[in-house]
Amino acid sequence: MRTTLIAVVAAAGLVLAAVPVRAHHAFAAEFDQNKPIKVQGSVTKWELTNPHSWIYIDVKGETGNTVTWMIEGASPNNLYRLGLTKESLPAGSVITVEGYQAKDGSTRAVGRNIVFANGKKFFLGLTEAEGAPKEGTAPQ
Amino acid sequence: MGRRFLASTAALAAVVLIALLSQAPAAGQAPSSAAKATTAGKAWTPPRTPDGKPELQGIWSDNTLTPFERPKNLGAKEFYTDQEVVELAKRVREGRPGEEIEGAQLGAANPQAVRYDLELYGFDRTKLRYTSNRTSLIVGPEGVVPPMLPQARERNAARAAKNKGHEFDSHEQRPLSERCLLMGQEAIPMTPGANEGNLLQIVQGPGYVTLLHEIDHNTRVIPTDGRPHLPQNIRLWQGDSVGHWEGNTLVVDTTNFTNLTAFRGSSENLHLVERFTRAADDTMIYQFTVEDPATWAKPWTAEVPWTKTKGPVYEYACHEGNTMISTILRGARVAEEEAAKKGK
Amino acid sequence: MRNWLGDSVVAGVLAAALLLAATHGAAQAPVYRAPRTPDGKPSLNGIWQALNTADWDLQGHAASKGPVPSLGAVFAVPPGLSVVEGGEIPYLPAAAAKKKQNQANWTTLDPEAKCYLPGVPRATYLPYPFQIVQSPQTILMSYEYAGAVRVVNMGAPTKAPADSWMGWSNGRWEGDTLVVDVTSQLDSTWFDRAGSFHSDALHVVERYTPRSADTLTYEATIEDPKVFSRPWKISMPLYRRVEKDAKLLEYKCVEFAEELLYGSLRKKSSN
Repeated sequence: MRTTLIAVVAAAGLVLAAVPVRAHHAFAAEFDQNKPIKVQGSVTKWELTNPHSWIYIDVKGETGNTVTWMIEGASPNNLYRLGLTKESLPAGSVITVEGYQAKDGSTRAVGRNIVFANGKKFFLGLTEAEGAPKEGTAPQ
Repeated sequence: MGRRFLASTAALAAVVLIALLSQAPAAGQAPSSAAKATTAGKAWTPPRTPDGKPELQGIWSDNTLTPFERPKNLGAKEFYTDQEVVELAKRVREGRPGEEIEGAQLGAANPQAVRYDLELYGFDRTKLRYTSNRTSLIVGPEGVVPPMLPQARERNAARAAKNKGHEFDSHEQRPLSERCLLMGQEAIPMTPGANEGNLLQIVQGPGYVTLLHEIDHNTRVIPTDGRPHLPQNIRLWQGDSVGHWEGNTLVVDTTNFTNLTAFRGSSENLHLVERFTRAADDTMIYQFTVEDPATWAKPWTAEVPWTKTKGPVYEYACHEGNTMISTILRGARVAEEEAAKKGK
Repeated sequence: MRNWLGDSVVAGVLAAALLLAATHGAAQAPVYRAPRTPDGKPSLNGIWQALNTADWDLQGHAASKGPVPSLGAVFAVPPGLSVVEGGEIPYLPAAAAKKKQNQANWTTLDPEAKCYLPGVPRATYLPYPFQIVQSPQTILMSYEYAGAVRVVNMGAPTKAPADSWMGWSNGRWEGDTLVVDVTSQLDSTWFDRAGSFHSDALHVVERYTPRSADTLTYEATIEDPKVFSRPWKISMPLYRRVEKDAKLLEYKCVEFAEELLYGSLRKKSSN
């Protein structure tokens, strides 16, 4: 059986492009691959909306001014299943965002990688003790 | 020589499959024994609802690594052996990000160039599973969607040609999913991938079975009295569904689709028959057959095992939170302005 | 010797007693007892619809001109009696001013025009039918408008992780009445087209009571200390759709609201 499987896999030529695209929209149509951003700021608001959630962060510019960036994230429904609630992300949390800016030039970006100051991955970091939801708040 | 070997392996696999039906699976490795009870094996008697119907209720996930269509090199091989599935699952778990793995539908585990990392949101590639030994969800010797009829090809090509160069003109030219009109995971028949958000809640009341998709809160309230369909002039995005019971199987017949629903390029003549059978406490077999004489020369069937999962299903208000379409359209307008300025 | 006085006194007392019993019995009409579901609960299964103008305006109102002159009498505001107990909604002063502003600009502000999910209780009295599918652990309510839906948990109450458009519903039985406690609604919905609104502190308790074979009494108590000076209550009958093969059809109104929402982003044709 083992040899058969390896033969099958090794014989694979072009990958079958069979399944229709599952993503509900082309991210490349909304965000610009040629406009990467990396910003750090403190959270002011967390919108738990679908199909995408939004984190609002205040980013201090070089000249001392503050710019509000809106960072697009995934559906919050998966976070609820991890036990997070609307209370899980308090205002003032400092995060670093790597992503791509919106094609319309606004201060919106898709948050490709979001981490805390200590390098911990954002939402998973929340469930791992830091900022974890209080007992009894997560629904069954 | 290779093909004969594979064919005889397939035959052996079928024998092995039947023999292995009662075996308890290794945790997280092979599909559950219940999931193997797809086309072969003994039927399981489900409990009854208070009004005496088979109990289908619960929260179900159709997440699976099994690809929709069979990889070409597998030919007529309809089933993997248990060992082959274990090997494939291992390859998925240990695979590098972006690596395509023949025979595995990685769905959301495939990173896209411009997109948040779904692992941040709890999507765990190592938890992806094969839910049956099938080499594809489409059953039968071919395991792929039949070729499209010339008239269907022309119909779809004409539609695409009309849109060419105008894809960003307005919301009307955008895909239905981007408009939150009909998302992929709410359309019927229900075709899965290894994605997030494939939850379905089934609620049964006397005379009705209700299917509630988490994605876009799509709800189908299906009467089970076998009543006639709506008249032909009433067309619906999700068609008109009527159900009836055949033993322990719920059979749902759907017609009256609009011509814009276009499941895999099909027409408004699409006729869908879905069958729901509870195969074990935690497993439902969802089987569907589609036919459309205006699109395919013959009907085709797919079979998807569903796994019971923990709820609840949360609200997914797609349209209310739809910023993507306005950002995309605005982006197109900005790009046009910039191009016009450069041209001056 | 026969005591005719005694007999007549007895007869009189007996007659009086019977008369008393008769009038007492007539004053208390028997409470309707709905048929039971197979698991012994009152059955609310079916397709229901409100038959009033509550979605236009919860409070009593005369007929008035509609917002689209070219549609004339097809789309003017119909008259209707108040469904609010006591007649008027008890707004706090600042909220009353906002309500007036909402009402003046309702065509651009009303979330119903955008095909946004209606929230509770508005979902109940929109001019479209909805269906109740009842199982022991879960009661599902599917609304024709915008495919809105909610699942009422009939087990031990649970908590919402975040706010949502249709809120979070926990239900229980009180005799023949289904009581649904609805919390965690976003503040983005209105109660009617007349600008009645609420905050994120909204708390709604609904009561569904069968009143005859084809009608329910629907009551909802609304509490929101940020907007109202006290809790208030609405009440109305809901009517069963009794026609053969009655069915909810699609009213996927997103399609009809797109021009309103995205029309300004359309590519301008070059001249």
